[in-house]
Amino acid sequence: MKRFGWRQAVVALAFLLSVSVAVIFVVRAVRPAIYWHYHQDEPIRGWMNVRYVAHSYHVPPYVLYRALGLPHKPPDKRPLRQIAKAQNRSMDEIRTVLLDAIVHARPPYPPPPPPPPDPEASP
Amino acid sequence: MSITDQLLAALLLYGLPVLFGVIVISSIGAPFPVSLTLVAAGSFAEQGEMKLVPVIIAASIAAILGDQIGYGLSRWGGRRLINRITRRLGGAAKIKEAEALSKKWGGPGIFFSRWLVTQLGPWLNVTCGIAGYPWQRFIFWDVLGEVLWVVLYVMLGYIFSDRVQYISEILGNLAWAILALIVAIILGWKLFRYVRPAGSVTA
Repeated sequence: MKRFGWRQAVVALAFLLSVSVAVIFVVRAVRPAIYWHYHQDEPIRGWMNVRYVAHSYHVPPYVLYRALGLPHKPPDKRPLRQIAKAQNRSMDEIRTVLLDAIVHARPPYPPPPPPPPDPEASP
Repeated sequence: MSITDQLLAALLLYGLPVLFGVIVISSIGAPFPVSLTLVAAGSFAEQGEMKLVPVIIAASIAAILGDQIGYGLSRWGGRRLINRITRRLGGAAKIKEAEALSKKWGGPGIFFSRWLVTQLGPWLNVTCGIAGYPWQRFIFWDVLGEVLWVVLYVMLGYIFSDRVQYISEILGNLAWAILALIVAIILGWKLFRYVRPAGSVTA
């Protein structure tokens, strides 16, 4: 075995550093995959629209439209941030309203009633 | 409102043109959250907000176009700049070495930096351009890697459409882990070659 010069010491240090970084990111990638089934709900963000939130939280979209005081047809595709602005509310407020509606649409609460009839479809 | 929020909100509102623009610009090298955008596009396709096949075609063309722009700019602009610098300051031998390295490892490097260690993609476009890596070979590996990247990420978004942020977080961490592992393997190999006994040297 040869003696280590400063160049080898730097390479060894960089090697240890890259191994540590790899371990950190492997753990960060694997941990959420292990807890896959416990993590179902995405944090609600301003870019999402009502239908995306309903899809992610597995609740009928009209429940969330109703909670925000919006008609469910035709579907409002605006991002939540725009809805918040139009309703003069903060994103936190919108988030709270949606989460409250989501909680009440899931067990142990009874399942939400069927959506109100579509005004355009009625004779 | 963060740039991620703005991009995804625009993607939901305007669809394909936003997807195309974001991918072209990020392939050239802008630090946009492009993986999240692609996974989100897959999810929106599953929900009927966008159409799957146009998403895959537009995203692939955008990624390939962005790479060609990065490669072209550095091949014709960067090459001239490098020549001027080496004429004044020297270092032409190092540039020749880099060119040889790029010709030897260019293909797999281009391919894997398209879909596995995507952080390196824009850098490789520039180094391939400067090193004069043959364009026909560049575009061959580029198309192969980019189509794989787009199909992989969009389909992950399509399958796990209710957890877009979660998936892209896992993918992001995985890409950094793989990059760090590659660096560790290269450095480890260098160290190993230095410390192994002289008698064990083969060839």
